[in-house]
Amino acid sequence: MSLVELKNVVKRYGTNTVLNGVSLNVEKGEIIAIIGRSGSGKSTMLRCVNGLEPIQGGTVAFDGTVVNDPGTDLRKLRQHVGIVFQSFNLFPHLSVEKNITLAPKVVKNVPQAEAHALAEAVLRKVGLAEKIGAYPDQLSGGQQQRVAIARSLAMQPQLMLFDEITSALDPELVGEVLKVLEEVAREGMTMMLVTHEIGFARKVANRVVFMHEGKIWEEGAAAETLGRPRTPELETFLSAVLH
Amino acid sequence: MTYSFQFRDVFAAWEFMLEGLVLTLELSLVTMAVGLVIGLAGAAARVYGATWLKRTVAVYVETIRNTPLIVQLFLIFFGLPSAGLKFDAGTAAMIALSINLGAYSIEIIRAGLEAIPRSQIEAGQSLGLTPVQIYRYVIIFPALKMMFPALSSQFVLLMLATSVVSQISAQDLFHMASIIQSRTFRDFEVYIVVAAAYLVLALLFRLAFACIYHLVFARR
Amino acid sequence: MIRELSFIDVLYLIAATRWTLALTAIAFLGGGIVGLTVALLRVSSFLPLRWLGAIYVHAVQGTPLLAWLFVFFFGLSIFGFTVSPWLAAAAAYSIYAGAFLGEIWRGCLQAIPRTQWEAGASLGLGFTQQLRYIIVPQALRLAIPPTVGFLVQLIKNTSLAAVIGFIELTREGQLTTATTFRPFTVYLIVAAIYFALCFPLTQWSRRLERRLHVAR
Repeated sequence: MSLVELKNVVKRYGTNTVLNGVSLNVEKGEIIAIIGRSGSGKSTMLRCVNGLEPIQGGTVAFDGTVVNDPGTDLRKLRQHVGIVFQSFNLFPHLSVEKNITLAPKVVKNVPQAEAHALAEAVLRKVGLAEKIGAYPDQLSGGQQQRVAIARSLAMQPQLMLFDEITSALDPELVGEVLKVLEEVAREGMTMMLVTHEIGFARKVANRVVFMHEGKIWEEGAAAETLGRPRTPELETFLSAVLH
Repeated sequence: MTYSFQFRDVFAAWEFMLEGLVLTLELSLVTMAVGLVIGLAGAAARVYGATWLKRTVAVYVETIRNTPLIVQLFLIFFGLPSAGLKFDAGTAAMIALSINLGAYSIEIIRAGLEAIPRSQIEAGQSLGLTPVQIYRYVIIFPALKMMFPALSSQFVLLMLATSVVSQISAQDLFHMASIIQSRTFRDFEVYIVVAAAYLVLALLFRLAFACIYHLVFARR
Repeated sequence: MIRELSFIDVLYLIAATRWTLALTAIAFLGGGIVGLTVALLRVSSFLPLRWLGAIYVHAVQGTPLLAWLFVFFFGLSIFGFTVSPWLAAAAAYSIYAGAFLGEIWRGCLQAIPRTQWEAGASLGLGFTQQLRYIIVPQALRLAIPPTVGFLVQLIKNTSLAAVIGFIELTREGQLTTATTFRPFTVYLIVAAIYFALCFPLTQWSRRLERRLHVAR
């Protein structure tokens, strides 16, 4: 059984079919990069994995649990699936520490001392140990995104989803975030990343999935898929992105 | 006709004014607390609740906001006894004022809730928080901070509106004015002094709210 | 002597509503003149005038409407006038509405960006001309929804005139209650009539507000 199993997932927004029969399996420890044009459905597919998007057809399963089943306790599931958003979504009224310790404390009842230690550890991992008392509006975009990653890591999930997390950053801040991603990958985390960073995908991902018009158009080992595109759509996409 | 202003007699009756002031403050503070609770609960119901709940709260809010406070007060104090519910003036006043302020607070806080970006809620959901936890830890603080000016203005208006309870003979500051007037016959001076007292109260309340904002919401 | 509550009483209540509306109209007229003055005072370039406007607004907004009603009704009689409820109410409400309308309209004037004033000035227009041809027409559009909203406040606030014996809907309700001893029913009807007056205006104000935002 794969950690994540999508079978023929169909999703519509009104009359617009965003996902048109998507099937994908992700094994534990794998790092999947998902690329494609805007509107190809990549973010939507990612958000289906932790139940943020309801689907109209097919099934989404995480670790054996069917995500789109109405009886599923999504809250429990989300303790095992972390997600980092394009716009960071830090809580502006809470300090960095409180942003990180909130969920462990109120969801998993971790005591304050332990939560504090957890926050310190996870901030060290993203290279921001000294910012533990700062507030989001005092941090740069890259720093906020790293805190967002730390916040998700603090829940010790089995799977991490990254939704175009460098797209909203100034170019000079992208590098520090990618470094953190490499570190997280090195530690064996299962990761699904929607990204435009083709170089990063080639270097770090095991598999690359290219989406086009709501379907998985091409899929395969990272170097192979990116180096030798089999379809004209992927070829056009890569040449547009790597100009 | 000449008339000499005699404020001295009015000021001599300061003990009456103090007594009235106590009830006015009591009514104001209790109503603000209850009104805030109603506002937080009702606004949550209107924004996140099931459709039947949204409609019920909407009916409550629209009814209160489109009818005068004094009529609501008369209904509770004079009208309810015939249905078996009899209150003394102070209690009736508290109930009417709380129900009234609650409706306005719901609308103000609702605006704050609707201004919270959906992405904040999604972040909370993705971390595994329950809806109540999201409301409590992620939503309330930023929403109240945003609506604090409007909410505190409404609270000051309420404090001034407590004067209406004098009409059901609750012994508030304004009621004391007519007591003093009947003893000193200084009609003009009495009401000027009482108006000034309310003005001072309003300024003090505004100051207090500014301090609260500074202590609670403005971090650095 | 207790009378039964009858349909005639309901008609009397509805008839009394015309005085509520009349007082609202007078308050709006008087308050409008005062409010316009206050708004202009508060945006003038002359500091003492701005202070005057600010003091007026803060003084009125920091005191209860009842106080003004009583000052004019009971207080002025000592100067030798016989003040009728009409005069007292008209004066008190004009002062009261003037402060609030002044604030609303000031907000609308100030919402027009500085750049509009500058454009007018660069064309050689003076302060009054800028106001008249550029600022006020735009501010007017902004002002309509909150002014209609305040109209609802006014209608509700006329109920306080009952305490100085002014005959309007609430006073009529008190009198009807005194003769029929059915306070619950009477005040329920009174509330319903106020609701019928206010709710449509509230909805209209909301519609205007929405249309304004769409247009922007």
